[in-house]
Amino acid sequence: MAIRPVLALPAPVLKQVAQPVGRIDDAARALAADLVDTMRASPACVGLAAPQIGVPLRAFAMDITGHKKAVSCHGEVVLFDPEVLLAHGPDVGREGCMSVPDFTGDVTRATRIVIRGFDADGRDRVIQADAFEARAVQHELDHLDGLLFLDRVSSPHSVFRRKTYR
Amino acid sequence: MPHFAVSAVGVDRPGIVSAVTGALVNQGCNLEDTSMSILRGHFAMMLLVAGPDGLGAEALEAALAHTAGDFDLVLAVRQIDDSVPVPLQGETWTVSVYGADQPGIVHRVTELLAAAGANVIDLTTRVIGEADRPLYAMLLDVTLPPGTESADLRGRLDVLAVDLGVDCSMHPADADVL
Repeated sequence: MAIRPVLALPAPVLKQVAQPVGRIDDAARALAADLVDTMRASPACVGLAAPQIGVPLRAFAMDITGHKKAVSCHGEVVLFDPEVLLAHGPDVGREGCMSVPDFTGDVTRATRIVIRGFDADGRDRVIQADAFEARAVQHELDHLDGLLFLDRVSSPHSVFRRKTYR
Repeated sequence: MPHFAVSAVGVDRPGIVSAVTGALVNQGCNLEDTSMSILRGHFAMMLLVAGPDGLGAEALEAALAHTAGDFDLVLAVRQIDDSVPVPLQGETWTVSVYGADQPGIVHRVTELLAAAGANVIDLTTRVIGEADRPLYAMLLDVTLPPGTESADLRGRLDVLAVDLGVDCSMHPADADVL
């Protein structure tokens, strides 16, 4: 239950493939709370993956409530060991990341995605997301595989120096 | 630490980047922001580099002259201000303009944008299509000052596009922090 520092490049944990969480125990629930607290601490942040706070485990938090590009919205979501069941419909959008300061890039993502994982109570959960929520899910899933949006940019010309958020 | 703007242009062939950056490294320079691209078959480089204390623009240009000669590059070095200007704040929009090539497209579109206080942060133009029917395409990213009515600006761009006989569109390009 703490706001943790968000790691930025070149932190090695951001480039590692994260390990499965497995059993959802008190440690996993504490990780869930930290992810949510840290995500909430930055108003512009709509998602945060465990490696971004230095934990090499397959877990992320997301909440796109109120975002102008949102279509589907599942509110606050924390998912452990998520896997993709279905993804289709490519679309290009510009992304930034708290772990990659000063840059944004155009990234192609699926516009509809179905994922499954476990929630903080250890229950199996299936989420069908589209539009902006689908993009957020894919961005967070990439973090679990050591991938940053810089690994996905559609062309070198599409990486722009961004304005300062916060 | 002195900073330099190094520009070099020459007919494209393999090895230009390696040779020019090798010569820069030999002078103790560190590449910072750069942009390099093929423009009409010519490789165009614009490099902002930091050099060791005591290095001057003339000395650096002289040190690069041999490489420039090997690759037939038009090369120039100028010293620039060390400070990094603060970027203007505002919403980022992407503007696309394309149509039959004619002189004045870039000037008239950017004149309209400048009058609205828009700041161009990235601009690329290409002449594409058949030689006897060239099509001009321009893509630019601009920062609009806070309070800009994007619909008004879009309306003025549409009027200009009709006048120029080109197609024009604009859409928000602000990134989402995920």
